[in-house]
Amino acid sequence: MVIVKRKILSLWERLYLPEVLRGLSITFRKMFEPRVTRQYPEEGLPTDGVTRGQPRLVVKDDGNIACVSCGLCEAACPAYAITIDGQETDRFIEREPERFDIDMLRCILCGFCEEACPKDAIYMSNELELADYTREALAYDMEKLKRPASAMRERMDYVKKINDRW
Amino acid sequence: MSDAQAQLLVMFIKAAAIYGGLLGCAALMTLAERKFSAWMQYRIGPNRVGPWGLLQPLADGVKFIFKEEVTPDGASPWIFRLAPLMAAVPAMLTVAVVPIGGEFQLFGVTTQLSITNLDIGALYVLAIGGLGVYGVILGGWASNSKYSLLGGLRASAQMISYELALILGILSIVAISGSLDLLQIVEGQKGTFLGFLPDWNLFKQPLAFVLFVVATFAETNRHPFDFAECEPELVGGFHTEYSSMKFALFFLGEYCAMIVMACLTVTLFLGGHAVPYWADAPWWIEAGAFSAKAGFFLFLFIWVRWTLPRFRFDQLMHLGWKVFLPLSLFNLFVTGAVISL
Repeated sequence: MVIVKRKILSLWERLYLPEVLRGLSITFRKMFEPRVTRQYPEEGLPTDGVTRGQPRLVVKDDGNIACVSCGLCEAACPAYAITIDGQETDRFIEREPERFDIDMLRCILCGFCEEACPKDAIYMSNELELADYTREALAYDMEKLKRPASAMRERMDYVKKINDRW
Repeated sequence: MSDAQAQLLVMFIKAAAIYGGLLGCAALMTLAERKFSAWMQYRIGPNRVGPWGLLQPLADGVKFIFKEEVTPDGASPWIFRLAPLMAAVPAMLTVAVVPIGGEFQLFGVTTQLSITNLDIGALYVLAIGGLGVYGVILGGWASNSKYSLLGGLRASAQMISYELALILGILSIVAISGSLDLLQIVEGQKGTFLGFLPDWNLFKQPLAFVLFVVATFAETNRHPFDFAECEPELVGGFHTEYSSMKFALFFLGEYCAMIVMACLTVTLFLGGHAVPYWADAPWWIEAGAFSAKAGFFLFLFIWVRWTLPRFRFDQLMHLGWKVFLPLSLFNLFVTGAVISL
């Protein structure tokens, strides 16, 4: 059993008004301290490599998509959000996606696709905002998912660092 | 323009200006309340409507007008409609006797910057101000809701308890200035006290001042004495069942009551429109001084609200009857004894 001892107040404290004035002085000082409000639509959310936003496809520096449409991410996806159709290409890697769709309404942002990918082709970007007027508009196709590697660099480096631990 | 016409015109202009000012201030107070509370909590406060959110009260007003009016089943229809008016109107009426500034000339009429000047101004303020409690208790009773009824009952018990301290505080001032006329009370506070302080009743009656200011908080149902609303236990207290413009009227009444109480505190204890060390200041400087002093007390209302937690109801009653009443009686007794000696 816990016995809470009630503090015996001194006369000064029992007068109440001095303590009120002390409280008032505190709230007055707080009025001039910096604000913590983030004015969201104007000020974006802070992101860094740890941010696991929406998955995006990496476009390499030579302009080609890194994906070879192996289908591992499609298989790893627990929400069945990814649909891939592959096709042949003249490039050295021989295969590339003809169609790469992610239904962003199905995506649960788990990052399994990122882990599954053997070609560093899909990464969880720092894009967090997802809103539109129709369901169709949120079923993203390949064109909407492509991002240059430079935009994903921070996340790529972070994932590489984490994976290097094993 | 004849003399009588000019006087009538001046009367109308003064009434329009003072009531416009009162309602404008009440609207701005809703914004100030939110702004200051935000700043004290490291937030920014409303800033979307107009510069610094200055049009926020307007937006709130429009919103209130377009809200659905809900009348609860079993509510007493007429009293339910009447109660918000009874809460708002007395608070607005009391401002009529508060002297805001000194004499000035308009259309050849010399007049005082107050709507009227009664020789029993202090009595009038108490009489009309005391009516405000009817709006609250009738609103609570007519809503046919247990929360409203409890809120109304608490409000009435609290207002009656603290009105005693309020009246005794005013009586001490009346005793030392020898008049119920608010203008006379202000005139009596011009000059200096002990050679260097302005001759304000605050310095002659410090105990009465403290008691009066605390009692004004209780009278206007403000924190830490807002038992009439008491969100945690009573949902919203007496205005739980009110919506739309009726709800807004209750709030208007509350803010008008705050403004009137601030004006009254300034008039009684802080020399009203008297400017310290400048006896013959022009009327607009006096009005400015009055506004500055009243503004401080309005800020104090907000400041205290966002600092202190609410009392418990038994603590409130204990404070009112066992501390404030004896102290104010003691103060009045000492005042009387000193004056008669």
